Amino acid sequence: MAQSLTHGEPALPADWRDLFALTKPRVMSLVVFTALCGLLAAPGSVHPVLAFSSILAIALGAGASGALNQWYEAGLDAKMKRTAGRPLPAGRLDPQTALHFGVGLAAFSVFLMLFAANWQAALLLTISILFYVFVYTMWLKPRTPQNIVIGGAAGAFPPMIGWVAATGSLAPLPVLLFLLIFLWTPPHFWALALFVRSDYAAAGIPMMPVVAGETSTRRQILVYSLIMAVGAIAPWPLGYTGSLYGWTAVVLSAVFVLLSIQVGTRTTGQDDRMQPEKRLFAYSIAYLFILFGAVVADHWWPL
Amino acid sequence: MTDETPPEQPFDEAEYRRRQRSRANLMGWMLGGLALLFFFITLARMVGK
Repeated sequence: MAQSLTHGEPALPADWRDLFALTKPRVMSLVVFTALCGLLAAPGSVHPVLAFSSILAIALGAGASGALNQWYEAGLDAKMKRTAGRPLPAGRLDPQTALHFGVGLAAFSVFLMLFAANWQAALLLTISILFYVFVYTMWLKPRTPQNIVIGGAAGAFPPMIGWVAATGSLAPLPVLLFLLIFLWTPPHFWALALFVRSDYAAAGIPMMPVVAGETSTRRQILVYSLIMAVGAIAPWPLGYTGSLYGWTAVVLSAVFVLLSIQVGTRTTGQDDRMQPEKRLFAYSIAYLFILFGAVVADHWWPL
Repeated sequence: MTDETPPEQPFDEAEYRRRQRSRANLMGWMLGGLALLFFFITLARMVGK
C-alpha cells in the first residue's frame, strides 16, 4: 500500500454502499417478491434452504442486470436529474469496477441457481440476464419507444424462474404470471415517463412521451391497462387459481383501470403537478405486490 | 491568465484504509456466509435424495 501511495494518484477503493446501489435494490425487492411468489405457488414442497438459495440466486441475477445496465448507461444517467446521483455518473465508482462486479455477480448467480435448483431454472435466469442487458439495455432502449413493451419481458421472468426452480418444469400459471408482469410494465413505466419526461428528453432516450407525445402515451396507458386487467383476471376463469385470487384481481384491476382512465383522458396545464400519473405509478407497484401475494394465498388457502 | 485545471484533491489515506477495511470485512463475512450456504445446500440435496 505504501508503495502505491508513492505512485501518483491511487484511486480510492469502491465503497460497498456504491456497489450495493449499483444493484438497484428497490427494483430487486419486486423481483425477489414475484420470484418468491412463483416458487411458493408451485405444486409440491421445496426444502427451505434450496428455496432460499434459489431466491438469492434470482436476487443476485437481478442485481447483476442492474449493475450492467448502470455500467452501460452511465453517460445517459449523467444527463438525467433522477439518475445523476448514481455511483457511476457521480464519479464515486470507476466503470471497470462496475463491469467486473456485474459480470462476476451474473456468473455467480447462475452457478448458485444451478447448484441449488436445476439447470432449467439456471438457463431461464441466464436468458433473463442476457435479455435485460443485451436486448433491452443495449438494443431496444436507445432505439425505439416500444423499448418498455418488449423489454418488459426481462422483468417478467422472476415468477417463472421461481416456479421452475421448485418444479423443474413450466406450467400455464407461471406463464400467465409472466404475461401479467409483461402487460403491467408499459402502463407502469409510461406513468413514470410522463412525469419525468423532460429527463428522458434531455438524455435522448426515445420513451413514448418523448417520441409519440403525451396524448398518445396517455391513450396507450389506458389501452394497456385494459389488456392487463384481462390478463390479471384470466387465471381465475381458466381454472388455474381460485376465487380468492380472482376477486382480488377483479377489484384491484378495476381500480387500476379507473386510475388509468383518469390519466388517459386528461390533458396537462402549466405547472401541472402530475398527481394522477404519480398516483397511478405508486398504485401500480402496490397492485403487483398484492396480486402476487394473492396468488400464494390462493394456493395455500383456497376458498 | 487563470489556471483552469482544478486543484488536486489531497489523497486521503485514512479514507483509503477505512474503505479497504470495510470491504475486507464485508468480503470475509460474505465468504463465510457462502461457505455455510453451500454446506447447507449440500445437506438439503442429500436429504432430498
